Amino acid sequence: MKLLHADPDRIVFQLSAAEKRLLRDLLERYPCVPPAHHRLNREDGDDAQAERQRLLEESVAEQRAQNQRQVRALLDHPETFQRAQPAWRLTLRRGDFEWLLQVLNDVRVGSWIALGSPEVLPRQLPDDPREIQQLLAMELAGLFQTLFLEALEVPPAP
Amino acid sequence: MADISSPLVLPDLEPDIASRPDVDLGRGWLVICWNDPVNYMDYVTHVFQKVFGWSRTKAEFHMLQVHQQGKSVLVRETLEKAEHYVHQLQHYTLHATLERAE
Repeated sequence: MKLLHADPDRIVFQLSAAEKRLLRDLLERYPCVPPAHHRLNREDGDDAQAERQRLLEESVAEQRAQNQRQVRALLDHPETFQRAQPAWRLTLRRGDFEWLLQVLNDVRVGSWIALGSPEVLPRQLPDDPREIQQLLAMELAGLFQTLFLEALEVPPAP
Repeated sequence: MADISSPLVLPDLEPDIASRPDVDLGRGWLVICWNDPVNYMDYVTHVFQKVFGWSRTKAEFHMLQVHQQGKSVLVRETLEKAEHYVHQLQHYTLHATLERAE
């Protein structure tokens, strides 16, 4: 995947058919982090703290629902992925990047949790095919996240 | 925190927020970000800039504090504002918590 163009409104990438499929698959995995992972405090506390925890869970649930709608709208929009032989063109509005980064990081962190939250990230493929899938999703989500962050650093062309 | 770039060494610019005398009544809540091995350093820096409106230098300072010391006290605020910040940070799946200042 490579950056083709960045203007004040949109950023355009060129990507292969395989990269397009991988990105779509990652976005369709969302959400991956279990709701119980979101904790306001390190330890349980009094009733006021329980109420604040409830508010956090509500806030995260609302954000997830909104991000899921954004993912669906992006994937369904005919201009998001356009054929540009022999590859594809991905067009993103600058306003899409924040929720896309949230979605990709949710997939990355959720996959890490599914792997057992290892303190040292695996450097070799696990034996279990389900764990291989989780490891690949974690690494690919991180890769797209990095590419998007780098694209945001590019000064917009007039 | 997962490395994707060479560590950037910055001077110790920030006073310790947790122990700083706080003249504003009610600003007795700390927003703390904890280290984990999965969030990329550049991503954490980006999130701090977005959520708090910080400069890259300040965001990198706190990111490195998380990475090297295990945690960073990001802000000392009123309960309402501190809760808001923790919600925002958790929307980005950072490990952020709310603690009452001692």
